[in-house]
Amino acid sequence: MIRQLTGSERQLAAIMLGLVAVVGVAMAAAGRNDTMGVHGLIVMLFAGALMYPLFSAIGAPEPTEDREASYYDDPIKVGIVLSMIWAVFGMFMGVWVAAQLAWPGLAFDGAWSTFGRLRPTHTSGVIFGFGGNALIATAFHVVQRTSRARLAGQISPWFVLFGYNLFCVLAVSGYLMGVTQSKEYAEAEWYADLWLVVVWVTFFVLYLRTIARRKEPHIYVANWYFMAFIVVVAILHIVNNLALPISWGSAKSYTVWPGVQDAMVQWWYGHNAVAFFLTAGFLGMLYYYLPVRAQRPIFSYRLSILSFWGITFFYMWAGSHHLHYTALPHWVQTLGMTFSVMLLVPSWASAGNALLTLNGAWHRVRDDATLRFMTAAAIFYGLSTFEGSFLAIRPVNALSHYTDWTVGHVHAGALGWVALITFGSLYTLVPSLWKRERMYSATLVEVHFWLAIAGTLIYVFAMWNSGVIQGLMWRTYTGDGALAYSFVDSLVAMYPYYIARTIGGLLFLIGAIIGCYNMWMTVRAVPETVSRQGDLPVAATVPGE
Amino acid sequence: MDLDHDTVVAFSKSWGLFYLMGFFLCAVVYAFWPANRKRFDRAKNSILDQDDKPWR
Amino acid sequence: MAELFHRKLERSAIGFVLAIIAAASVGGIVEIAPLFTIDDTVEEAPDMRVYTPLELAGRNIYVREGCYACHSQMIRTLQDEVERYGPYSLAVESKYDRPMLWGSKRTGPDVARVGGKYSDSWHVAHLMNPREVVPESNMPSYAFLARTTLRTGDLSEHLAAQRALGVPYTPEMVENAARDAFGQAFPDGSEAAGVVERYGAATNVSAFDGQSGKLTEMDALVAYLQVLGRLTDAAHKGSAVAENTPDTAN
Repeated sequence: MIRQLTGSERQLAAIMLGLVAVVGVAMAAAGRNDTMGVHGLIVMLFAGALMYPLFSAIGAPEPTEDREASYYDDPIKVGIVLSMIWAVFGMFMGVWVAAQLAWPGLAFDGAWSTFGRLRPTHTSGVIFGFGGNALIATAFHVVQRTSRARLAGQISPWFVLFGYNLFCVLAVSGYLMGVTQSKEYAEAEWYADLWLVVVWVTFFVLYLRTIARRKEPHIYVANWYFMAFIVVVAILHIVNNLALPISWGSAKSYTVWPGVQDAMVQWWYGHNAVAFFLTAGFLGMLYYYLPVRAQRPIFSYRLSILSFWGITFFYMWAGSHHLHYTALPHWVQTLGMTFSVMLLVPSWASAGNALLTLNGAWHRVRDDATLRFMTAAAIFYGLSTFEGSFLAIRPVNALSHYTDWTVGHVHAGALGWVALITFGSLYTLVPSLWKRERMYSATLVEVHFWLAIAGTLIYVFAMWNSGVIQGLMWRTYTGDGALAYSFVDSLVAMYPYYIARTIGGLLFLIGAIIGCYNMWMTVRAVPETVSRQGDLPVAATVPGE
Repeated sequence: MDLDHDTVVAFSKSWGLFYLMGFFLCAVVYAFWPANRKRFDRAKNSILDQDDKPWR
Repeated sequence: MAELFHRKLERSAIGFVLAIIAAASVGGIVEIAPLFTIDDTVEEAPDMRVYTPLELAGRNIYVREGCYACHSQMIRTLQDEVERYGPYSLAVESKYDRPMLWGSKRTGPDVARVGGKYSDSWHVAHLMNPREVVPESNMPSYAFLARTTLRTGDLSEHLAAQRALGVPYTPEMVENAARDAFGQAFPDGSEAAGVVERYGAATNVSAFDGQSGKLTEMDALVAYLQVLGRLTDAAHKGSAVAENTPDTAN
């Protein structure tokens, strides 16, 4: 990988790592009496760990071939590996915190291992670690292939990838030490947030410059989604994380938004993180990998354009449905509800477009578990967007809010949609990127698929049940007009479902581990393709053909 | 700023709606503009090419 | 026309990005901007107090431990919630809250009005081992808080940052932050009078964790829990009634 860089590029990389290490030293010194000091050490270690491979190859001969004649795949490969590592970590943390709700003793009386500290390591681990790395890797892949141009940079893709992972490491290690803003899905503290801005702007510029180099006249629609993901996440991240640190040597900061404004900004962020991180980016994957795997063009290109603008426009209004019946002004709640319902139209347009693409290729869906991953993802996308619009309706929200129903809804989207489309895309990508004939084992892909489906369904059904029961118990009155159940009664009723959801999550985790093994063995044990023309193994390897 | 609550709500209800409809219209016109058909067809089929090198 | 415009947008990727921003930013601006310009988002509450340094430190422990993941601090305008938890939450009650801790999930009950509902010793026993007090509970033990000395050295910095953001802490409050934190937890000590003088007679001065001689994180967290819902009486004075719970049950 280093051998692909010229001497001056290697020097530049070394200087950048040196600068990062210096920042780490400064953080360690300024925060020596604070948790920030620990983060300084972590930054130094991170830079040092990257220096090792760099310096061990710094004197190697420079590349002789014409780099512009091929796509830049090294960062994509590393991105996939990192993504799968984060997947196992994040899902393991998820299973652990789920188990803690059923068996609270599993916190082992530690401070770092309480539910409140571990829960964000799960959410950040899967959303930012697993999802984010997969998005970066696939964005790099899709933009090159659809633009017929190499990435517009040699160092910047590495900077984006490793810089982003440094952010993830700072975030997750911070939660364990109690460094958090307690803003849901934006828990990382101010210096990590600032760092992410630098990384993200680089990502944006790199993506834009690559598109500007394109040889195709038209920008393929998947890139639109990736671009919306990059642009809007930048806006959301900056606005929501505006904060004043108490000092340069402290990890603690106070957000500039007080009370009700903070609530609105937070859920404007929170909901649109779902929209543009967990939906737009992954729709980018869907619009590229699903047609490629099925070897059929997208059903309606026009529909994909219309749903793109619909999603980009409508989602931004919907955040206030997280605040029904609260101290937020009523008209904002109504606005949020209205747009949430309207959002169903572009969402179902996307899901329908994906499924109609498969019309005529259903035999492939039957035989090819990878394509089935993506098909199931489109179905879950349709289901969870319907559920989302439904839950945004005020009276429904009165029942569902604060209960496990919300958790079930999130996981229908996160497991059923985001994770399945990612696994489907990675199973398509891995053999093609490493130039292997096929995945190591089609059976293991099949096993992974069924574990993932079973895990998702068990999880979601458990949470639906517990959420509805909980919501109903809270509002049930006796004949005398008194509340029928204490809060503890409703908690006791949850335990069976908490155990069931732990099992569901465990199945999903096992599936992801099998996926890692399968990808590892694909790279290690499957012979290289000989002079393959195409980017894709599909046509040759679909079982049963 | 002498923006009061009612002004802002009125603004978002009226101009917000116009903005929404204008945006929708532009997107529809773009998607269905006859001259674009060829570009879209080309785009949707081009990702299926079995070609794995950047174009020069 | 629209067509040509669009084609141009797409040709240069930058124009395309601007179109995305135009499409995406309107919703946020229309929804959020008015919250700053209108007065009725945040009601008047002349009696609204600020958090004392000890309560603020306790709040920061609540933030640090991620309590919001299981406890909301937002009683909705629904009848069953009002009956279970007390008067529904008003915007003004969280006007000094950075971040707001309204929460999104109730694995445990809402705590917006938990202040004064239980004794200090109940809270300490419950935080030490929740299942000793509520056998069915699945809350983790927070015994380590009682073992950890509260960090008071930087409390002035905390208050100064809050003051810079518009919370009405006086320079005296900022200067005496650490002393006031001690004062509030040691009613018999010489510093207790200063807290009441600076933060008002309603300030809850108490030996929160029951230990003398050491100011712990337990003191701070209990002090915070005991002030929840008691910074102002505004919610209790309101004449508005809760909406009837929508009847989705049937």
